[in-house]
Amino acid sequence: MLFFILSTIGKFLTQNNSRDRDLIRRIASKEPEALSMLYDHYNRLLFGLLKSILKKKEEAEDILQEVFTTIWEKADQFDAERGTAYTWIVSLTRNKAIDRLRSKVYKEQKKQSTSLNDDDVFHPLYSEENNPLENTILSDRAKRVYNALQNLSEKQRSVIQVAYFDGLSQSEISDEYDIPLGTVKTRMRDGMIKLRELLAQEMV
Amino acid sequence: MAKNENAQNFEELCAAYVLGALTREEKESFEMLLTQASDEQKQFYNDMEVIAAEMALLYPELTPSPSVKQQLIDMAWASVNSSNGANVHYLSRFRYAVAASVAFMLVSIGLLFQTQNLNDDLSDQLALIDLQQNRIEILETEVERKEELLTILEARDVDLILMDGLEVNPSGYGKVVWDKDNGQALLQVANIPSVPTAKEYQLWFVVNNQPISAGVFAVKNPAQDNFFKISEFQQGGTGAFAITLEPEGGSPQPTGDMYLLGSM
Repeated sequence: MLFFILSTIGKFLTQNNSRDRDLIRRIASKEPEALSMLYDHYNRLLFGLLKSILKKKEEAEDILQEVFTTIWEKADQFDAERGTAYTWIVSLTRNKAIDRLRSKVYKEQKKQSTSLNDDDVFHPLYSEENNPLENTILSDRAKRVYNALQNLSEKQRSVIQVAYFDGLSQSEISDEYDIPLGTVKTRMRDGMIKLRELLAQEMV
Repeated sequence: MAKNENAQNFEELCAAYVLGALTREEKESFEMLLTQASDEQKQFYNDMEVIAAEMALLYPELTPSPSVKQQLIDMAWASVNSSNGANVHYLSRFRYAVAASVAFMLVSIGLLFQTQNLNDDLSDQLALIDLQQNRIEILETEVERKEELLTILEARDVDLILMDGLEVNPSGYGKVVWDKDNGQALLQVANIPSVPTAKEYQLWFVVNNQPISAGVFAVKNPAQDNFFKISEFQQGGTGAFAITLEPEGGSPQPTGDMYLLGSM
């Protein structure tokens, strides 16, 4: 029951999922208009994501273009049975951003990366100045995720936050924050499982 | 026990995978593991992926430059319109930079060769211009000299003295057109040999058996060197003209062989 609820979160919360699937189908048929429409729906969300991870506007725009080019070329590989178009697009975007982040160009920047107490670092969830709940009107979906994250333990939340929003690997988190690697893995797993439970409760 | 450990290991890898926290090697290992995962594990993975995607909603929305969409749509239409159906790939900035660097290098090499060729052509053209300029100067000098000679011929009152070749060079001959009023004369010679090294011909005006030098001239090309102007030749009376071969610069008195002689 729990799994069933969670597996349908994306479908349930993504009000425009059928619209996205139709656009992806048309993109697979090589209709540029459909690509244009999909871009209009998601460019701001994905660009915000990319800018947060990569920091540089040019790099973020570069990857944004790569993401939609990949969608154009591989739309026929999208499996609607496996998940929503939204999940597919966001996963694709994050994977590309992290690949770029861990490329040689970014190695030096990564070394200088972030501390949880570093004021220069942008943490969309936890920075007072950038608290999305205070500064932007979040959708119900975003509020649910935010609330669920707030209910994690500080230790679980921290490793998930640094991994997700700063793009650090488990090994890097271990080195950077002097936490045993095994502990990082456990906190990450437990935190995500807890998140699943919390989100499932929100759906009930 | 081992089953629980495997399950926990799968879940740890899965959670890290969807958060993007695995290294490239770990990521590849998990993807392999996923192909052999149980239905329950696959469902767990799908749930984790959905949660990770939902977390993206917490990023602040930002607007990219309009050029991003424009380039994307251009790429899509180019792909559709390509007659051979080949995919048109987007060039990332990095790839574009590499491609542009190679192109720039090739263009630079091409321009270098072209510049070198242009420089060579330019040098040749400049040398030709110099040559032509020298030739023009020579011709202008020649025209100027001829005009001066014509001026002598145009004088109202001139004396004409014919000279014949002597024993040393019997086939030679010459003329002196003497404009006494203006103190200048035109000398024309023919069939006399070119002067040896460090030698010049000297024209003498002989009056009362006294030779007076009227100037020196050199015949280096007998086919061309036929006319000479004698300037500042202020003499009076009647006498004869003679031409002798003298050391370069002339002599106070005739010392060499006499080639031409003619009386007034």
